[in-house]
Amino acid sequence: MVLARVKGTVVCTHKPEALEGLRLLLLEKVDAVSLKGKGEYVVGIDSVGANAGEIVFYVSGSSARMTETTKGKPSDATIIAIVDVIEKDGVLTYEKSRAGEGAQGA
Amino acid sequence: MNLARVRGTVVATKRSDNVEGAKWLLVEECDQKGAGKGEYLVALDMVGADRGQVVLLTQGSSCRWTLRTDDRPMDTLVVAIVDAIDQAGSTVFALRNEE
Repeated sequence: MVLARVKGTVVCTHKPEALEGLRLLLLEKVDAVSLKGKGEYVVGIDSVGANAGEIVFYVSGSSARMTETTKGKPSDATIIAIVDVIEKDGVLTYEKSRAGEGAQGA
Repeated sequence: MNLARVRGTVVATKRSDNVEGAKWLLVEECDQKGAGKGEYLVALDMVGADRGQVVLLTQGSSCRWTLRTDDRPMDTLVVAIVDAIDQAGSTVFALRNEE
């Protein structure tokens, strides 16, 4: 699973029926230590109700079809979790509850 | 399977994966000597790995071939803790040599 920040939404009018009603979110992959964006973007289907600015992780490939939201849908990137805390080497590098403060936020 | 080193943990309460008792590890991909590459992933722990240990990752659809992850949206698992790596007759990594 890959860590990313929700940067926005993607709207598509022309799409297969199977994708109707699903939220497409614009994700930027982030460095797990600095939480800074890497400039690499993917579009993921939301299965947890993620919002802009939140750190999430997503699954890729055929596993992206395994959530209740995406069963049988043509998704190859699905957001499966909203991250509360990241701990590295005993130090908290990210806390969602404090994400608005200083450099740890967006 | 790729080698990685356990660097920490990730906590997430709002999830859709349906995996019970899941523990998420922050792992850094590493080479055969255990040197980190700066690329991080979130992996589901299957073996009780601890911070600092070098582990084996299974990625992709093969992650669903365990009882706990059958039909679950998982693409990165920690499936083993590495004891030693031998390359061309010499030990390039050994758990016992780690501090």
